Amino acid sequence: MCGISGVVSFHPIGDRLYEGVRHLEYRGYDSCGVAYVQNHHIEVRKDVGTVDEVQSKANIRQLLAAVGIAHTRWATHGKVTKANAHPHLSCKADFAVVHNGIIANYKALRATLSKAGHTFCSETDTEIIAHLIEHTYAECGDVEVAFVEALTALEGSYALAMISVHDAERIFCARHESPLIIGVGSETNYVGSDFNAFIDYTKNTVILDDGEYGIVSKDSYSVKNLHSGEVVDKSITVVPWDSELSRKGGYPHYMLKEIHEQPLAVRNALNIGDDEIGALADMILEARRVHLLGVGTTYYVALLGQYLMAAVADMDLPAVSSDEFRHLDKSDGESLVIAISQSGETYDTLMSLRHAKERGAKTAAIVNVLGSSMARLVDRVILQGSGPEVCVVSTKAALTQMILLARIAIEVGTRRGSLSADLQREYTAALTALPGDIDNLLNEKSGLIRAAAYRHAHVPNWLFLGRGIYYPIALEAALKMKEVTYIHAEGMPGGFLKHGTLSLVDDKLYTLVFVPPGNGELHGMTMSSVEEVKARGGFVFGIAFEGVDDIFDERLVLPVTSDFTAPFLPLVAAQLLAYFTATALKRNVDKPRSLAKSVTVA
Amino acid sequence: MKALILTGGAGRRFVPFSTTRPKGMAVVAGGSLIRRTLNHLREAGITDATVVLGQHGDKVTSTFADGSDLGVHLTYVEQDRARGIGDAILSARDRFIAREYFILVYSDVVTSANPFLQALQSFNSFKGPIASVCLPAPPTARYGNVYLSGTRITKIVEKPTVAGLGNYVLAGLFVLPTEVFGLLHSSDGDMEKVFAELVRNPGLNASIWEEGWIDVEQPWDILAANRMVMDTWEESHISRHAVIEGNVTITGPVRIERGAVIKSGAVLAGPCYIGHNCYVGNNSLLREYSSLGPGSLIGYGVELKNCVLFGNSKVGRLSFVGDSVIGENVDIGSGTMTINENMDRTAIVVDVRGDALDSGLVKLGAFLGDDVKVGAGNTLAAGTVLLPGTSIPHHATVTGGGK
Repeated sequence: MCGISGVVSFHPIGDRLYEGVRHLEYRGYDSCGVAYVQNHHIEVRKDVGTVDEVQSKANIRQLLAAVGIAHTRWATHGKVTKANAHPHLSCKADFAVVHNGIIANYKALRATLSKAGHTFCSETDTEIIAHLIEHTYAECGDVEVAFVEALTALEGSYALAMISVHDAERIFCARHESPLIIGVGSETNYVGSDFNAFIDYTKNTVILDDGEYGIVSKDSYSVKNLHSGEVVDKSITVVPWDSELSRKGGYPHYMLKEIHEQPLAVRNALNIGDDEIGALADMILEARRVHLLGVGTTYYVALLGQYLMAAVADMDLPAVSSDEFRHLDKSDGESLVIAISQSGETYDTLMSLRHAKERGAKTAAIVNVLGSSMARLVDRVILQGSGPEVCVVSTKAALTQMILLARIAIEVGTRRGSLSADLQREYTAALTALPGDIDNLLNEKSGLIRAAAYRHAHVPNWLFLGRGIYYPIALEAALKMKEVTYIHAEGMPGGFLKHGTLSLVDDKLYTLVFVPPGNGELHGMTMSSVEEVKARGGFVFGIAFEGVDDIFDERLVLPVTSDFTAPFLPLVAAQLLAYFTATALKRNVDKPRSLAKSVTVA
Repeated sequence: MKALILTGGAGRRFVPFSTTRPKGMAVVAGGSLIRRTLNHLREAGITDATVVLGQHGDKVTSTFADGSDLGVHLTYVEQDRARGIGDAILSARDRFIAREYFILVYSDVVTSANPFLQALQSFNSFKGPIASVCLPAPPTARYGNVYLSGTRITKIVEKPTVAGLGNYVLAGLFVLPTEVFGLLHSSDGDMEKVFAELVRNPGLNASIWEEGWIDVEQPWDILAANRMVMDTWEESHISRHAVIEGNVTITGPVRIERGAVIKSGAVLAGPCYIGHNCYVGNNSLLREYSSLGPGSLIGYGVELKNCVLFGNSKVGRLSFVGDSVIGENVDIGSGTMTINENMDRTAIVVDVRGDALDSGLVKLGAFLGDDVKVGAGNTLAAGTVLLPGTSIPHHATVTGGGK
């Protein structure tokens, strides 16, 4: 997972190249660099560190070139070192390449090129691309031909951008199974891994497909088919997002901003046309077997979807973690696989979809990023419209996906006749009221959650318990805590306690319990888990609703809303708890360690 | 952009210090609140400020004069009638140019980092009115409830009725258009109405302040603010013009200013602040969060803990001062003890002009106004308040709200 940006312009590009790569930092940020053409040779400035750290050492903003490419790296092949940072140069330094993806046959290519006299400065798979292009250029003397020939020799996944001293006013770019788009501005054109690379400057984009390459100059661009060489007529997509939305605004962190954007994101999800929801419902009803796929947070979203489908639509739609799906996949022509992904680029999920597709299954996806690989791979896509999610830890995108699954469950239940008209109206009304409920929670409980987070920030081990639909909520809440605070938090169904985990409970292990509202069976069973923990001297923090018995060591009481939407409120509270715990511990909230925004590697 | 600093609040609950100084002239970690504000403004590139003065405004003007010592340019306005924030702002109306934005800041707020940098960043991204908001710790309904949708403020409820509230509040820092003066004029100085009007049109954006924030309202808030600021210190600064004798032990971060003398055998367990020309006697023990304003004199064998001395005060030998705030020019005789907890460990009640205020704190010492004299061998009960100029004879026991 890496970020690519490129700018070619009538004007100096330093600022725009720097801003572009800085906005892509969420894709990876262990090292970064730029390459640009100046006085008929290629200059490279790169180093280990975040874009700002490298800027302070290498002063990217001040460069006066008119064409350049930049890269922010998230290491896969080769360690995090200055030599391994992109861009990479060929032997004579007349070609520079930035790359996102994995070249599967790079060892073989490297051996061949070494024999031909090429020497390599890094351990990366990327560097061979630059040498390969130089090698073919030596034979044909044409940059475009050399570029295309080199591409056809590559196996694996790539998005790449290249500049050359032999064709010093154009950027060459191509993609295969990794995202890359072109931005069309006035007097300046751009290349980027996604819109964030240039959204401040233009909203007009051209989305490259696999097997295509682009040539971008300051006043024009063209896209061609890699194999036939024919020009492909691509339409311009206008990005609907306001660049303002891509920034932090008045928030100290993107994570808090995105938590606060949830009412809006949910409203957007509720405004998605009934026909789109209906079409997916039809696919579910037509299929003999349906699986919900996700990985990490989206697996928990899928699991919540499974509970919703069972409760609302009386249907069994198993959720499977997409990294494991291949081992279980028995799909056929009567199967449907529904994938959930914020970025639409998640490697494991994409691979699972391709696997199922090869076996003849129909595919669908709930995706946030327009034009992403997943959005274009599946038979039917629902774009969730949550707006850009910049914080590496997913909040609003995940909640929106849950809301869409709730809508789908209601639709399927209605069509199957398993959901009464009264309940259908009640559930729909509850969803409509949810944005307001979340607004109230954010506006009236944030301070209590912050105080609790600061009080308990020192606690090294947490158990997050929930039963029924509160079980996937507990899992997702625990993942938020782990991701952003680096504190151990383990999500678990309440019933697991007496099958081993109780042995861990003492006064040092804290337990967060998600207590359902009302006095029903689920509530009673959850409260008995609370008693079990308390009996062993464990500290219990309850996130509960008004009317609950106060048997907790500490509690956060939320106002009672509908039982149907109630699970989403403690999730929002838990997001805030994770956020404030992270700020109390001075963590790097928006870019936690060992995590990239969309995991596009195996 | 220019700043407007309000210092005129009456500080009714800030006895005994409000009797002789505005709240902004209270001291934390070696600097007055106004000095901290001016330093933060300068760091954020704001060097032009108008200060609205209320009671004891001379304390401000005599300290800061034209501001050149701090690298800022200050002008002053006297608030003619002490009727609230709206009037205070209006009194500075002729100092601001029409159709511009200005920074409005309350001087009785302490933050752990520079809030102006963030507010200005928010202003640059919204290009509209900004209110800094924060979540006070502990949660309280005391400051009203700011409702947000995204970062847009949707309403400000002055007296919230929701049970179990933990909400965003106005943090006392705004970036406002000068049209506010006109709005204030037409609403007869009612700031609540002006905020409601701004929320409606053109919209008021929130800049969310995540760092520490304390509104200094009661005298013990000084201690919390002092701790908050000292907790941000990561390293020690010791002036090369300070004299530290042999056998002095220093742990934790300390700040020691020029001319300070630390005598042999003293132990400084930081964070501690020792101001310009202080004298710390032999074998004295300065524990965490001790802050000595300039010219303080600490006698032989004195123990200090979590206390703020505004400056030019004297603590005689073999005394203990803990969890206390000591004004300027105070003379504490030798062998004086502040008691800082009730024997039953209940929260300490402080008697402020006949009102018994529950501090909610289990450890709290005494609050001695400016120019107080305490004779030798005295015991000051927990929660004692001595008004400025009070004189206590030798060997008397002063009972405060403690038990």
